[in-house]
Amino acid sequence: MAIVTSFERLSEEEKHQRFMERIEAGEKIEADDWMPDEYRMTLIKLIAMHGISEIMGALPEKEWVPKAPTLRRKLGIMAKVQDEMGHGQLLLRVAEDLMAPLGKTREEIMQDLFSGNLKFHNVFHMPAPTWGDAGLIGWLVDGAAIITQTNMLDASYGPYARALKRICAEEVFHAQHGESIILALAEGTKEQKDMLQGALNRWWDALLMFFGPDSPSTTGTSKQDITIKYRIRTKTNEQLRQDFFTKYVPRILSIGLQLPDETMHYDETEGKWIYRQPDWNQFKEIIRNNGPKSKERLRLRELSYRHNAWVREALSGSKATV
Amino acid sequence: MSGFYEVFEVFSRKSDTAPLQHQFSLLAPNHEMALVMAQENFMRREPVSDIWVVKRSDIRQMTEEEKDALKRLDNKDYRTTKGYGYLKKKWRQYEQEMFDEKEILSWKGEIQR
Repeated sequence: MAIVTSFERLSEEEKHQRFMERIEAGEKIEADDWMPDEYRMTLIKLIAMHGISEIMGALPEKEWVPKAPTLRRKLGIMAKVQDEMGHGQLLLRVAEDLMAPLGKTREEIMQDLFSGNLKFHNVFHMPAPTWGDAGLIGWLVDGAAIITQTNMLDASYGPYARALKRICAEEVFHAQHGESIILALAEGTKEQKDMLQGALNRWWDALLMFFGPDSPSTTGTSKQDITIKYRIRTKTNEQLRQDFFTKYVPRILSIGLQLPDETMHYDETEGKWIYRQPDWNQFKEIIRNNGPKSKERLRLRELSYRHNAWVREALSGSKATV
Repeated sequence: MSGFYEVFEVFSRKSDTAPLQHQFSLLAPNHEMALVMAQENFMRREPVSDIWVVKRSDIRQMTEEEKDALKRLDNKDYRTTKGYGYLKKKWRQYEQEMFDEKEILSWKGEIQR
């Protein structure tokens, strides 16, 4: 068609300019549209990491499926773990379509995870030793995830924006599922309250790290400027962290929990939360797969991938790789 | 003319972010013609940002019996927000609002203290 031919005639520079005009006008980019390499590579990294983190994130929670205190809690947490795997599948599909022109598939995503080239979210390297941790993950880790995911609901990349819309709708259930567990503990015996406070203390630094460093100078690298430039998100890491505090700190305090940071307060004149920085060197170690549970969970993922290879093979007529 | 036409199902999006919606079906000799005819048949007035045409023969539809098995029992409220509606009252006791769908989806904009 005529329109196609004239687009093909544009120079790379003109295509780039047209691309920027499109996203600045709020149009969505689709998988087969022209896009700058930097945009494609940034999206692949971001979405593959997001997708694989959903799957790795199911691992600390699924530990609590057989140990949930009641049948209803077991059904609830099973439903939630199932949702997380579903989110992983949605996001991996988005990443796979972006990787297709590079000749890469889900197999490369898995291999990159096992080799350490593809990171998964810092929070999912941490242990979940009590039922309080299970509740806290549902409440605050999901809360942090909701803050970052809602920020990308208007992402310039159409398939990602549509996946996030589905994901965020399900996150409403996750948020309430987590609150239901923690409120029961907060209103329970002293032992239950202590269990909840212990979980909060254990998870606090990981929650602060969840949003990433304030600037690249903290950890050496940060993609936030690029993702903002391309309208994949609108807020910086620090703005998201501040939003998380605004939404969750009053709730944490209202149920009688204490923040494990006695310096934390809202500065009215500066209009922001003042808090103690987590140890960013520890963050770097964690995302290099040197966190407390990194190796164990990667091994679990790799084993299940290998153990299920026969299923893929049986369904594909011996095409699948081990 | 048997074998000339094939049945195509037509789907479209009103905007870049809208869900894909089934419009109707049409007969066409190939994908290109199906796309042109889809525009003429179904998109004469309403805004549209994308159109898909799919050969019906490429779609695995469900049988009546299979569709029957889709009906749900009303016993999954642990999986829906309905099962957690009591939280609204509970949070009020702590002078906090419930995080419902409206509240959570509003977080995509500016968050005020």
